[in-house]
Amino acid sequence: MPYLDTYTQPLTAKTAAHLLRRATIGPTQSEIASFTPPGGMTATQAVALLIQNGNYSPPVPLPIELDSTKPNAGQTFLDKPFNGDRNFWFGTYIKYWWYGLMTAQNTKPTLLEKLALFWQNHFVTTREVVDDYRFVWQYLQLLRNNSLGSFRTLVTEISKEPAMLKFLNGNENEKGKPNENYARELQELFTVGKSDFAGNPNYTEDDVKAAARTLTGWKFTNYWVEGSTTFGTSFTASKHDTDAKSFSDHYGLKVIPARTTPPAGYANTGEADLAELITMLLSHPETPKFICRKLYRWYVNPNVTQTIETNVIVPLAQLFASPANNWAIRPVIEKLLTSQIFFDASNVAAIVKSPAELALGSLKFFNQPIPNMTTNYTAYLKLFDFAHWRMRDMQMDVLDQPTVFGYEPYYQTGYSKIWMNTTTIALRSDYTDAFIGRWLVVDPNYYGTGVPYKMGIDVLAWATNLQPDFRNPPPTTGTGGTAAITCEIILADFLKNLFATDLFQTQQDFLMDKIMMQDVPRSSWGFEWNNYRRVENDRLTRLAQTPPNTTLPPNYNNYKNAVTNRLQNLMKYLLRMAEYHVS
Amino acid sequence: MKRRDFFRAASSCLLPVMVDGFGMKALARDSALVQSLMQTTAVNTDRVLVIIYLNGGNDGLNMVLPLDQYSAYNALRSNIAIPQSSALALAGNDATGLHPAMTGLRDLYNNGKLSIVHSVSYPSPDQSHYRATDIWMTAVDATQTVDTGWTGRYLEDRFPGYPTGYPNAQMEDPLAIQIGYLTSTALLGSQQSMGIAIDDPNRFYQLVGAGGQTSPDDLPCCDAGELIAYIRQQQALSVGYAGEIKKAADAGKNLATYPDAAAKNSLADQLKIVSRLIHGGLKTKIYFVSLGGFDTHSTQVDTTDNTVGAHASLLGKLSAGISAFQQDLKLQGIEDKVVGMTFSEFGRRANSNNSKGTDHGVAAPMFVFGTGVKHSTIGTNPNLSDLSGTGTNKDIKMQIDFRRVYNDVLSDWFGTNQTTTDNLLFRNFPTVSLFSTMVETVASGDWSDKNVWTVGRMPFPTEYVRVRPGHTLTVGQSVTIRNLKLDGKLKFMGAYKVKLTG
Repeated sequence: MPYLDTYTQPLTAKTAAHLLRRATIGPTQSEIASFTPPGGMTATQAVALLIQNGNYSPPVPLPIELDSTKPNAGQTFLDKPFNGDRNFWFGTYIKYWWYGLMTAQNTKPTLLEKLALFWQNHFVTTREVVDDYRFVWQYLQLLRNNSLGSFRTLVTEISKEPAMLKFLNGNENEKGKPNENYARELQELFTVGKSDFAGNPNYTEDDVKAAARTLTGWKFTNYWVEGSTTFGTSFTASKHDTDAKSFSDHYGLKVIPARTTPPAGYANTGEADLAELITMLLSHPETPKFICRKLYRWYVNPNVTQTIETNVIVPLAQLFASPANNWAIRPVIEKLLTSQIFFDASNVAAIVKSPAELALGSLKFFNQPIPNMTTNYTAYLKLFDFAHWRMRDMQMDVLDQPTVFGYEPYYQTGYSKIWMNTTTIALRSDYTDAFIGRWLVVDPNYYGTGVPYKMGIDVLAWATNLQPDFRNPPPTTGTGGTAAITCEIILADFLKNLFATDLFQTQQDFLMDKIMMQDVPRSSWGFEWNNYRRVENDRLTRLAQTPPNTTLPPNYNNYKNAVTNRLQNLMKYLLRMAEYHVS
Repeated sequence: MKRRDFFRAASSCLLPVMVDGFGMKALARDSALVQSLMQTTAVNTDRVLVIIYLNGGNDGLNMVLPLDQYSAYNALRSNIAIPQSSALALAGNDATGLHPAMTGLRDLYNNGKLSIVHSVSYPSPDQSHYRATDIWMTAVDATQTVDTGWTGRYLEDRFPGYPTGYPNAQMEDPLAIQIGYLTSTALLGSQQSMGIAIDDPNRFYQLVGAGGQTSPDDLPCCDAGELIAYIRQQQALSVGYAGEIKKAADAGKNLATYPDAAAKNSLADQLKIVSRLIHGGLKTKIYFVSLGGFDTHSTQVDTTDNTVGAHASLLGKLSAGISAFQQDLKLQGIEDKVVGMTFSEFGRRANSNNSKGTDHGVAAPMFVFGTGVKHSTIGTNPNLSDLSGTGTNKDIKMQIDFRRVYNDVLSDWFGTNQTTTDNLLFRNFPTVSLFSTMVETVASGDWSDKNVWTVGRMPFPTEYVRVRPGHTLTVGQSVTIRNLKLDGKLKFMGAYKVKLTG
C-alpha cells in the first residue's frame, strides 16, 4: 500500500468532506460544494487552497470587550493599558475571538485555525495559569503565525515567550537555583518525547538538569502590572549559568561549552546557549518522529501501528528533518493531508470528534450566523458563551488544558475514545438537542429585522425548501397538484454530508419507521405533509390579501405541529447517533 | 481451602489448629486476635474502595514532617520549611508531625483511622508526570507498559465480560464510578474503562433520561466501526445506570457537615457525592476522585509564612474533605464498609528550589484511611541523612513499593485470592499488613532490622507478631509486643526477652 504517495483522484463530496472535517473545525455544505467543482479538484489543489485561504497576520478586528454593561463595551482592549479587573474576561474574550475565526462561513475554508489548535495543544500554556491576557494573546499569535513555518523557530521562540516562562516557571530558573519544569517538558512534550516507539527512554534525568541550567536567566516583564502598556522577555546575564553543560549519550554526549561572552551573531550568551540546545534537541533522531506521530494522530488516526510507524511516520519524519526542508512545517502538512493514507477508507470516521469539532463544527454545518463581533457584540457574546461553557463541560476548554500534556484524548491510552463516556455523551446530546429545541435566543431582534435569531435548525423550512411546488398541493379530493416529498427524500437530504460513514438500509428504515413515523406507515407522511401544505398555502394566501387576513386556517397548528414533530424527532435522533460523533 | 475459609472454619470448631505458636491469652474465640483475623480475611462483598488522586506530584516532605530530624529537614528546604512549633503532634508518635493545615487527618490518626505509609515509590522511579502516573495507575515495573489499570484488571476478573450484559441482576450498578467527566487509566480494563464518570447524580439522570429507541447495531468497517460500537455501548450504559444512580442518590443522605461552597473544596464535594451514593445502597466497588494543583514548582508557600500558601491550601482541602467524609460514613453507619487511599505520581525533591517550590522527586507518603486500617504507620520517617542524589538534587529513597499497598487492598480488603492478586499485579508483593493486626516477618534477619517486617519497622508493643515458617529472627535486645505466633524460629543473642502484653 503506497502510504505517503499523493492521492490523485479528483475529490468527491465524500472525500472533500473528509478533508474539510479533518483540516478545519468542520465544513459547511457550500464549502464541500466549492471543493467539488465541475471538472474536479485534486487533493493537492484543495490543500493549497486551505493554506492560501489562511490569514496569517493577526486578523482584524482585535478581540473586544463584549460585556455591554462595561464602559468600554465594543472597544478593543489589547491596545490599551493592562486592566487587571477585566483580566479573566479579556482572556475569555480572546477565546471567543478565536471561535469566531473557527466558525467563519465565508466559503474560504482554511486549515490555519485547526493547525494552530494543534500547536496550542502541543506547546500548552493556559489562560488560567498564565493569567495575563496580553501574554495569552501574544503566545497565541506566535503559534498562529508560525503554524506552517519553521519548527525550529517555533521551539526557540516559545522557550522565551512570556506565557511559557510563566506557565512552566522559566522565569524562576536561575543560575545556581534551577527550576526544572520547562527543561523537562521541553524534552518530554515539545521535542524528543519521553520514549521512542518501542518504549526506550529518549533522555535522562541528568539531561533535564543540564537543560535547565542552559535555560537560566530568562524573565518576563510587566506581568500583571496595572496600567502598563508594554511587556516582554528579558535576559539577565548574571542569572545565566555560564558553566559547561554536559548531556548524556542520548544526545551524543553533547557539551554546551562554558561561555561568558556571546559568540558573533548572538545578542547574549542565553541566546547562544538556547540555539545550541535547540539544535541538539532537533538532532535527536526521535524528535521529528515524535512530532509527526502527533500530527498523524491529530489528522489521520489515533492508532499508530508498527506498519504506520514504518511507512508513514519514519518517512514523514525524514522529510521534516531533512537538510533541504530544515524543519519547515508546511511541506509536512501538505504531504500528510494529500497522502493516500489520509484518504484511505479505513481512516474515515476513525476519530471521535473533539468537543470543539462538535460544538463549533455544528454551528458551521447548520449555517448558524455568526453575529458581527464589533457591531453586534452582545449577540456574539451570547452565542459563544453558550458554545464555550458547553465545550468546557464536554472537557475541552480551549486555551485551558487540564495539564501541560494537553487534552487527554491526544496522548492517553484510548485516545479520542476518551472524549466519550456516559457523562460526556449525555452532555453532547444535550448540546445537539438545543439545535432542535431552539431555546437559545442569540439576538431578540436580529439586526433590526424584528425577527429573533434563535440558534438551531428550522427543520420545517428545510423540508419546505425540498418540496417542489410547495404551494401547489394535491387537493383533498380529485387529482392534480404536485406530490408530497417522501420520507426517503427527507432522510436523504438530512443525511447529506452529515455523517462520515454511510448508513445501512436497516438503519435508514429504522430512522424512517421508528423515529420519524413512530410505527405509522410511511405513506401517512404524504397525507400529513399535504395537510400542512394546504393550510400553509391558505395562510400565505390570506396574508397576501388587502388588508392581510391574519386569521389562521382551521387546524393550522395541528397540521403544522404534526409534521414539525416528525422532522424534529428525526433530526434530533440523527445528531444523537454515534455516527454524528465520529469524524 | 481458601485462606479466608480456613479462618472462618477455625473460629467456630477447629480452634486448636490456631493454637500452635500463640500465647495462651489469645486463644479465646472472642479474643481480639481471633476477631481481627476474622475481620481481615472475611469476604465482605459490600466493601468499597475510594481512591483519591493528588494530581501533580505531592510534596510529601511538607505533608508528613520528620520531627526527629528537624534540623536536617530545615537545612534541605529552609525557604519552605514548616516551623517545628507549627507541626501537628501525633498521639504516641513523637517522631512525626503533620502539616498544620491537616487537623482533620491528625484527629483521624489519633483515632486509629488513618495509616501513614511512609516513602512509597517503586524501583527506577520516573519523574515524568505522564509516565509516573501511568506506572501508578497500571501498577507495572518502570521498565514495562500495559494498557490496563490495576483496579480495571481487578474488576474485570471479578465481573468477566463487562460491559456486555451489564447492568444485570447480579450487578445492577456501575462497577466503578469516577466523580468528574473522564475516567482514569486506573479503571481501564482490557477493552475499555470498567467505570463510568458522573459529575452529579441528579444532573446525570436529567441529561440521560430514561432512554429511547435503540438503533439497529449495524457497523461500518475498521476503526470507524469500533468507535461507533463503543459510543453506542456507552450510550446504553449511561441509560442503564442513570436510574440506579438516581435511586441511590435519592435514598442516600449526607449526615456530616462538609466544607461549604465558599471553601471551594472540590475534593470534599466529590467525596460528599460518594458517601451519599454508598449510603443510598449503590453496590459500586470503587470510587475514584481527584484533587489537582500539586505540581508546586513555585511559591508553594506564602511569601511571609511557610505554614500557609498554595500547598497548605491543598492539604487543608484534603484533610477537611477526608475527615468530613469519614464522619459522614460513621453517622451513616457504614464506616466499616469503606477504606480510602491517597496517591500522587511522585513526591518532590527533598531540596526546595529557589522559587519557594519543589521540583519532581521520588518517594512520598500515602494515606490509607477508614476503620479497616490496623497500623498507624507503615515504614518510618525517611532517613534524611541517607538520600539519593547529590548537592541540591537529593531525593527520598523508597521504603514501600506502592504495589504492596495494592496487594493488601486486593487480597485483604476485597478478599481476592492471593494467586489472583499476584496475577493482577504481575507478581507477588509482600503484604504491609495494612488490614491485619498481625505484623509478620518477610525474611530472616535481625529483629531490629525494619526490613524484616511487613510493616517496614519494628513491631510496636501494641502489635501482634508472627514469625513466618522458615524465618529465623535474631534477638539482640529485649522487646515488648502484644503477642507472638511463632511459626519460624527466634535466636536469642543473649539474655533477652520477648515480653508479651497480651
